Amino acid sequence: MTLRAGWLRNLVILLALWELLGRLHLVASGALPAPSVILLKLWADRADYPPHVLATLEASILGFLVGNAIAIAAGVLFVLSPVALRLARGVNIAIFALPPIAISPVLVLTLSGMTPRVVLAALGCYFTTMTATVLGLTQADARSLDVVRAYGGGRWSMMRLVQLRSALPSMLGGLRIAAPNAVLGAILAEFGGGGRFGLGTYLLGSLGRADPPRLWGIGLTATLIAGLAYAAFAILGNHIAGASRAVTIPAAAPSLPGRHSRLASILLALAAIALPLVLWWLLLKGLGVPEMIARTPAGIIDYLFLADSAGSAQSRLLAALAETLPITLAGLLAGLAFAFMLALLVDVAPALGRSLMPVALVTQTMPLVALTPLLVLLLGRGTAVTLWITISVTFFPSFVTIAQGIMMVPRPALEVPRAYGAGKLKELRLVAIPASLPYLFAALRLAVPRALLGVMIAEWLATGKGLGNLLNQSRGYLDYGMIWTVAVVAVLIAVVFHQVVIFTERRVLPRLGMTTVE
Amino acid sequence: MAGDRSISFRNVSKSFVARGERFTALDDVSMDCPPGSFTALIGPSGCGKSTLLRLALGLDQPDRGDIRIGRLAPREATASGDTGVAFQDPALLPWRNVEANIALPLDVIGKPRSAFRDRIAELIDLVGLKGFEKSLPGELSGGMRQRASIARALVTRPGILFLDEPFGALDQILRRQMNIELQRIWADSKATTLLVTHGIDEAVFLADRVVVMQSRPGRIATVIDVPFARPRPKELFTSPAFHALNDVVTTALHGA
Ligand SMILES: Nc1ncnc2c1ncn2[C@@H]1O[C@H](COP(=O)(O)OP(=O)(O)O)[C@@H](O)[C@H]1O
Ligand SMILES: [Mg+2]
Repeated sequence: MTLRAGWLRNLVILLALWELLGRLHLVASGALPAPSVILLKLWADRADYPPHVLATLEASILGFLVGNAIAIAAGVLFVLSPVALRLARGVNIAIFALPPIAISPVLVLTLSGMTPRVVLAALGCYFTTMTATVLGLTQADARSLDVVRAYGGGRWSMMRLVQLRSALPSMLGGLRIAAPNAVLGAILAEFGGGGRFGLGTYLLGSLGRADPPRLWGIGLTATLIAGLAYAAFAILGNHIAGASRAVTIPAAAPSLPGRHSRLASILLALAAIALPLVLWWLLLKGLGVPEMIARTPAGIIDYLFLADSAGSAQSRLLAALAETLPITLAGLLAGLAFAFMLALLVDVAPALGRSLMPVALVTQTMPLVALTPLLVLLLGRGTAVTLWITISVTFFPSFVTIAQGIMMVPRPALEVPRAYGAGKLKELRLVAIPASLPYLFAALRLAVPRALLGVMIAEWLATGKGLGNLLNQSRGYLDYGMIWTVAVVAVLIAVVFHQVVIFTERRVLPRLGMTTVE
Repeated sequence: MAGDRSISFRNVSKSFVARGERFTALDDVSMDCPPGSFTALIGPSGCGKSTLLRLALGLDQPDRGDIRIGRLAPREATASGDTGVAFQDPALLPWRNVEANIALPLDVIGKPRSAFRDRIAELIDLVGLKGFEKSLPGELSGGMRQRASIARALVTRPGILFLDEPFGALDQILRRQMNIELQRIWADSKATTLLVTHGIDEAVFLADRVVVMQSRPGRIATVIDVPFARPRPKELFTSPAFHALNDVVTTALHGA
């Protein structure tokens, strides 16, 4: 109750402050308009909105339905057959790690109409829902499963009578995160082109018009839609499953114990790496995409290493990478460092945490990266904007993950050092910092794909440098080989980064007697 | 499932690996329960009683030895729908009401619930849950949940009944009542019953034979026959002969 009142008070203070800043043109000479001005502009533009909102909604909803249907079916399959889960590991990690913006142009090239948007929205849903399904299904009460088995029930009976129902809270938790992800996916696909309507299209179209209140109006509308989608599933979850536990974004592809010989394990791992390539190839053949546009894995090797123009392609790609990689790393580390320090600060001053946590949770549901034009407005088109976008998209999920990790430290563990007279700093050093290490790694896993996404979007829309810009330029030059190459390279970078983190984590944590967290 | 309702364990051994170390939970256990008999299994905690039951239900596989329910292997017997089981933990599904929880075995073996309406009502009455048919497990006390799980074990009118400390969570008074009810149910159904318990008086009151186990490794120490005529009245609990036999079992347990 008091928590809620404090929340409301903070909101009012924030709005008043914002109004004041806007009225006085204090931020970037008017780039941050007052809320009242934004609302008036929204009202003036009210005739423009319906087709855009409807287009984005349509793609989001379709993608949400398709993506989650596939995710739930896949989750059930993975639990029934751990071999299938191992085979799909490569696909799962790729989908987790891929920066949506990188494959947006490829989708627009190979698919038509609304389909690219639906696919990107569906991809945004797949991972969280699939992971939540697998977790929910495998965490069903073992004793209830025994009862079913004791009456001769097989795997399918256990699934039907116990697991599916007991996984419901977890699955609804997954859907809650998937809902705003679908909106984000749809908007990012709109950035890739195709179609006249959609909030993303509207946002891009308004970017050049020097009309900050309009941009803010679109951004707030997108945020509102994503927030409502999240809230709808939060309420549904509470209602159906009585599940009100805070849901965090999964940061690892699920795995189940299986008994395989060494040889079988190696073969499965190789098959898991091959599967995404095979699927890619099959999709292109199956869709009958014209040779000129489509690039198979072999086509990309040809483009990058064998063709006459390979030298020029390589040098352009390397130049772009030299721009993108350092700033991705810098933004990633800065976002993580801020998150870590703030989480520790919250541990020292819990009252701060109580007011920050809701804000951090809310921002998780915002299609932050889709609001890049707003940041461009505020920060201009230099490198600073890239850095800030990257920090803003990596900071919040990292903060939530680390802070929740620290909160999970049992009270008595904190009180032992205190009982021996340890001060706050010593307590941090002895308990909170070591305890948060596994969560720091989890946050890193979560932040890697986001950092790359943030940098590429900033490059695409604002700075005109690096991988994002190369992708955007190649669209203009109809350089299909480069469009495909950038998409593949971006996904590979994200996957390799992710695997490096996991590799390091598996070396470091056990040595300190810790285990990894999901 | 006409025919043989016997249970037989032949040289059954089972070991587990815990924290990298293998230890023997059951070592060469042989035992026969003739059709229609009531066997009580008693022994110190951790001696492998539950493990033995789980093997008989096909929930785990023995390392060595053979288990038969009639002529069938455990998994075949349970799939035929002639076995019933209640575990120490009621393990009710929290989203099903009492009625639907009792009907769970029917859903597993694929029998229509409608054909068992009367049976379910009768069982609910029997275990004293009348009026709670539509309650969810979360709304019941521990003892009530336990009684629902016993009703669930009986719903298919099983020819073979496995009970793993089913009355462990009940208070002494209710426990006595349930003992007397169980005797009646058993006499009516002639189900071959294997009851795991840590209550010596319960074992002696209900069983034809009390099998006493010892631990580390789990083995059968002795088998004590219970000669009392049936039906056994509740006055038996206070008779000197009953106490004398209780003492025999106690000695076997602690002297073993
Ligand atoms: N799945 C298992 N994994 C490892 N150890 C087990 C497992 N099940 C039972 N045990 C061990 O086997 C022994 C016998 O257990 P149990 O049959 O449950 O004993 P009881 O029912 O007689 O108390 C115990 O030491 C127990 O810890
Ligand atoms: Mg036991």
